Amino acid sequence: MSNKSKPILWGVRKDGRTLWTRNAVKGISVRGERRKREGRIEWRRWDPTRSKVAAALLRTRAEPASLLPNPGSTCLYLGASSGGTVSHIHDFVCGAENHHSGQLVAVEISPRMVRDLVKLSERRPGIVPVLGDARKPEHIAAFIRGKANWIHQDLSIADQAETFVRIAKSFLAAGGTGLLSLKAASERSSQGDDNSRFQRAERIIMDSDLILEERIDLTGLEEQHVVFVCSSRTG
Amino acid sequence: MKIIFDWRISRVVDDQGHIVDEILWDGTMSPSGIAKRLLKLQQGRLLPEVITLSERFPEAKIDSMGALSEPNWPKAPDSEEIFHRATLELAKMGVADSSKDMDRRLDMLVSATLEVRSFWTTSESRCIEWAGLFITEADLDSQRDAIPRSIATSENIVDASENLQVSPPMHMPSDSEWASMVSHAVSVTSSSEILEQLESSIREIASIHVPSLSALLGPLSAAKLVSLAGGRERLARMPSGSLQVLGAHAAMSAHRRGAPPPKHGAVLFSMPQVSRSPRWVRGKIARYLAGKASIAVRVDHFEGETWGKDTIDEINSEIEAIKAKFPKPPKRN
Repeated sequence: MSNKSKPILWGVRKDGRTLWTRNAVKGISVRGERRKREGRIEWRRWDPTRSKVAAALLRTRAEPASLLPNPGSTCLYLGASSGGTVSHIHDFVCGAENHHSGQLVAVEISPRMVRDLVKLSERRPGIVPVLGDARKPEHIAAFIRGKANWIHQDLSIADQAETFVRIAKSFLAAGGTGLLSLKAASERSSQGDDNSRFQRAERIIMDSDLILEERIDLTGLEEQHVVFVCSSRTG
Repeated sequence: MKIIFDWRISRVVDDQGHIVDEILWDGTMSPSGIAKRLLKLQQGRLLPEVITLSERFPEAKIDSMGALSEPNWPKAPDSEEIFHRATLELAKMGVADSSKDMDRRLDMLVSATLEVRSFWTTSESRCIEWAGLFITEADLDSQRDAIPRSIATSENIVDASENLQVSPPMHMPSDSEWASMVSHAVSVTSSSEILEQLESSIREIASIHVPSLSALLGPLSAAKLVSLAGGRERLARMPSGSLQVLGAHAAMSAHRRGAPPPKHGAVLFSMPQVSRSPRWVRGKIARYLAGKASIAVRVDHFEGETWGKDTIDEINSEIEAIKAKFPKPPKRN
């Protein structure tokens, strides 16, 4: 790794336009990403064109660390898919053999995707794979050990913003961070263009108890997507 | 006063936050034992300890999300590993359980049929053209069905022409060229067998999964509708106007840009009641049939009484009545 690379958090580094996480399972790539050795540490490339969280980290105007959970946090990931991004979050929230004692609850509705997610979780203690509907809090509550410090919602459903607000109300701890990845194409198609759909979502968040910190446009990395960074009020 | 719980501990807590009563789960700490409890919680059912506590304290409110916001909820570092294994087991069970989903199974059959059919259409016409290049006297229309079979089963091209009862070709393909022709023809005949097999499985499954809809539209079309809608439930909850245009994606998006609306999707058009009717009643019949199909799938999904022949006959005579009512095309203004 070059000398210019900057640590963002424990286990996360930024090197120019690329991000790296400290591989919790040495020698294994999750979806064919590059790995680099640096002494006893192995780094895994976090591709911003395949992960909206990574893309948001590169594009944010705020401190990148403020978008991420700290090692040892309780995290909720809705719409985990096959677990690409989940694996990177796990790298620094839990670490090898979960020595940080983090918990990352990964919810996914498609059995096909959960199959891959289970395979990933078998090697990565700390990830809790849940086959269930992310819109239903009772599908999730039994698996999470307490309120989450960090939530990321990445669902392809209509009413993404309403769901996010509801889930954050049930699960986001005071002072926690919530990221909402919004895909324009998933919102109701009859209502205007992409931008007006993003604005509608923004209004829903502003009307809720959440504080909207930043709206990050991912154009160039992930088309038609924005990430809303929110935080819950403390206390 | 409320009852709060997780998979290990159930508690009664009063309004000041004091613990009034508590039951610890005393079952065996095995991954499958924990998985069963987690499943129960996920399905919104009550754990036995919670039931006991609510009998002891009938006035206490059961709060399934309560334990999450409890700051002093006991942690269990020693059971973390077994909990992890339980969640893996539960997720695997859920994945295994998805094969009972008839929608998925039907969708596999329907999608496989579509793919094999598109392969068959191109390969079959290639096979005919290829054979016709050599066997110039064969009739490519009336003997069309026999050509792939005779290529696939003949020793050489002279045999094949004999099979087709025409004179042998003027120029012979080379040995390896002939071998390629044969393998290609075999793939055509075997894919038509695969298609038949697939369609008979679709008939079988669709007649069980959507019996009324199958009686109305035929099992193949019924299966296509279910697959296009993304499942029986979604088809049942769909307005009949949406069902009417299933399979007309391009026409629908053109409609959104201002073109006139499509009268019917691919599935309804494939029904003879629609495609064999005069142009000016097709829309009316498609709308009527879509309405009936929509009722049929609701009957199937919500466990109503399956439609018999009488109902279908009634519907078909109604369609005839619509046709009789509009014998002439409407006048253009």
